[in-house]
Amino acid sequence: MTDQDKNQQPPDDAADQVPDGAAEKTPDTSPEPGPAAKKPAPPRFTPVAPSGAKRFWRALTKRPHAGHVGVGLLVGILGFAAVVQVRGDEEDVLAHARRDELMQIYDGLRRQGDRLEEEITELRRGRDELISSADAESVAMTQAEERLRQTQIMAGTAPATGPGIQMTVSDPDTNVRSVELFGAVQELRSAGAEAIQIEGVGSDTSVRVVADTHFLDADGGVRVSGRTLEPTYVVTAIGNPVNLEEAMYFPQGVVSKLEQKDAEVTITQFSELTVDTLHEVQEPQHARPAPEED
Amino acid sequence: MIPALGLLVGVIAGLFLDVSVPLELQPYMPIAIVAALDAVFGGIRAVMEGIFDNKVFVVSFVANVLIAALIVFLGDQLGVGAQLSTAVIVVLGIRIFTNVASIRRLVFRA
Repeated sequence: MTDQDKNQQPPDDAADQVPDGAAEKTPDTSPEPGPAAKKPAPPRFTPVAPSGAKRFWRALTKRPHAGHVGVGLLVGILGFAAVVQVRGDEEDVLAHARRDELMQIYDGLRRQGDRLEEEITELRRGRDELISSADAESVAMTQAEERLRQTQIMAGTAPATGPGIQMTVSDPDTNVRSVELFGAVQELRSAGAEAIQIEGVGSDTSVRVVADTHFLDADGGVRVSGRTLEPTYVVTAIGNPVNLEEAMYFPQGVVSKLEQKDAEVTITQFSELTVDTLHEVQEPQHARPAPEED
Repeated sequence: MIPALGLLVGVIAGLFLDVSVPLELQPYMPIAIVAALDAVFGGIRAVMEGIFDNKVFVVSFVANVLIAALIVFLGDQLGVGAQLSTAVIVVLGIRIFTNVASIRRLVFRA
């Protein structure tokens, strides 16, 4: 190995293989030392000795030499160790960190922990707010549903249950006109009836009395909101039963007027009865919600 | 040729074998790698200057690694491991820079 052509003088420093003045040991000696000494610039750009890169390339592409096995082995070990070390570093940074590094890492982690703690607090607060707002929302929902039910009872689109009276008007001669029934409804309303329906047993129809209910006379009965009711009439009203019944018996009131027409009136108080006829709401054709004024 | 192949084989082996550094060797590995790098750059420079020698390279490589590891070991025993490994890294880094500067001059002639 030492008789290698390029290694005429083994370097004395084992670690540093490069003694100074490499030019004087190059085997291919410069043929014109005189001009090179006088004018250093031109020969430097037309060197006779092969350049470093050329030498390196030649060494790379040279036929394998048995003596290079050791070198290859060592370089391979270096590559292997470097890669393993780098990969190990990725796995655990802490294992071979020194104390001040550990302190630094610990500090950073603690700051990060503080930040995360703050974030947790903030998120918790947000969550609590959301929960309470959801609660408020559900309360509002319940209230809205309650209002909806009340409105539905008032509009007659939902059945209503409660204490009330049932007034049966048997009118065999069909003398009762719309005026009397209208008067009865009016009286019931003024006595606090909250839901009213009128049933004509003779024609087996019933009508829920709502805001737009109207009464007309008809042959053999009364026309209420477009439906003909024939006697016997059964008026069901939900409200305070005592008040409602008293309202029927005023002097010159509903009952006396009905009896003047030869109708027979029976009033029964109930602690629980149901108004189950529903009113079909029609889309208003002309009226629409007026814009709110600010 | 063989050294380049060796490097390739070593890197591939390191990538695909699931080996981790033994715990006792962990403090010495980085230093040893830097020392070996120094030897390798010195070798490249020698190749470029046409004075490369196998025996010199092998000896310098092994000696570099061993001495670097020994210094760190001594430093750890004396309680100045961190400082000594810094010193070793600095020295080796300077040497690597010098070698690379020579290589650069040889390659680019500048």
